[in-house]
Amino acid sequence: MFKYQFRWDTVWGSFDFLMGGLQMTLIISAITLVLAMVGGLIIALLDMSRFRPLRWIGISIGEVVRNTPILVQLLWVYYVLPIVFGVRIEALVALIIGLALYQAAFISEVYRSGIQSVPKGHREAAQVLGLTPFQSFNRIVLPQAIRMTLPPLASNFVQLIKFSSLGAVISVSEITRRGMELSATNFRPLETFTFIAVVYFFICWPLAMAIRFWERRLQAR
Amino acid sequence: MSSTSPLILADGVSKKFGINQVLTRVTLEVLERDVVCVVGPSGSGKTTLLRCLALLEEPSEGQVVMEGVPISTPSPDKQVKAAAREVRSEIGMVFQHFNLWPHMSVLQNLIEAPMRVKKMPRDKAVAIAESLLKKVDLFEKRDAYPARLSGGQQQRVAIARALAMSPKVLLFDEATSALDPELRREVLAVMRQLAREGMTMLVVTHEMGFARHVGTRTVFMDRGEIVEAAPGSAFFDAPQTERARRFLQQFADE
Repeated sequence: MFKYQFRWDTVWGSFDFLMGGLQMTLIISAITLVLAMVGGLIIALLDMSRFRPLRWIGISIGEVVRNTPILVQLLWVYYVLPIVFGVRIEALVALIIGLALYQAAFISEVYRSGIQSVPKGHREAAQVLGLTPFQSFNRIVLPQAIRMTLPPLASNFVQLIKFSSLGAVISVSEITRRGMELSATNFRPLETFTFIAVVYFFICWPLAMAIRFWERRLQAR
Repeated sequence: MSSTSPLILADGVSKKFGINQVLTRVTLEVLERDVVCVVGPSGSGKTTLLRCLALLEEPSEGQVVMEGVPISTPSPDKQVKAAAREVRSEIGMVFQHFNLWPHMSVLQNLIEAPMRVKKMPRDKAVAIAESLLKKVDLFEKRDAYPARLSGGQQQRVAIARALAMSPKVLLFDEATSALDPELRREVLAVMRQLAREGMTMLVVTHEMGFARHVGTRTVFMDRGEIVEAAPGSAFFDAPQTERARRFLQQFADE
């Protein structure tokens, strides 16, 4: 093997610095998930609206966002939005807006398929028994749709944890960015980035496994 | 007026889906305590007629009238819509595929509409639900979820759910078609019991035995029209048209 003197102590020495970054990563992911869930609901409702212009807006947002790279979107929000609107946006805010919009476009599809997975007959049964359309959606469709959407939403959280590393490009101080800064001073990219990769893995992997287990249990019901 | 007019009446109802004419000026009245059985080949418009009466489809022509009051017309006005809301839950329906709500227990399925629509207090709704479950012989399943029940049990729960709103008329849309023969019997037994108790019923069915022995009137439909209607077993003993004879022929060896 190649001769390399591992210096893990350079990483341990900055453990708190990196864990601070990890905390940032998780906070960003959590906030973004909540925003994306709300945004996704708005896009899904636009998509399913009875009014053509609203539907058109919803579909356009979804298609544009799903068919452009997330990194380009982040750069666009960070650099272009301030030019268009003449306001400076903090990197952290730009990252959260960009990521939330991107995930919302995917989550809207999750909602839509969740709602459409509820058989029409369930709504008809509600209608015949005299429930209003609102009661029928609220009591019959939504609880079933939510059950269908929870595992995909959890998977979105895992994706967000990974995508939030893109914040490094616009200088958001999450764990990847801190890794870049650390390796620029300790000249130990191998230890630094390996450690960071391991951290990501041991957060995302158990989550993904738990979701898969959860999904299987829901299907069994 | 309501004593002389039929409980529910399809008055010259036509239904088109696009260019497809499914019903052509069908007139059918159901009187109190009637058990009207609608038979006919598949695609004859039986189910569409039932769905029009259940207010799930709007007629393209004609009207649905309940106790003398129009409740469904093509592009209904405010008055008709208000009348429909008024009687909505007095028309019960049992579906071919049960349509129980899978995220609710049997008991919850039964008390949902009485509590939300009739604003019935919970303990009263539960008491009614429990007595109905006893009636369909499923009291011990009150806390089970629909997925744990057999098809026959699910359909009996669905009947109990419809009864929980104490409807004036109960519509059955091929309620036994999705069931194995041995499960059909338990559902038919419940339907027969309801008929005996004087429930007004409109039954779309392929069960000729039920139509013959339980029905007070049999209506034969073909290609979107009522071809024949006769009281009790008369339709089976002496069908008047060639189409009806040919239809009944299929069941001759049953």
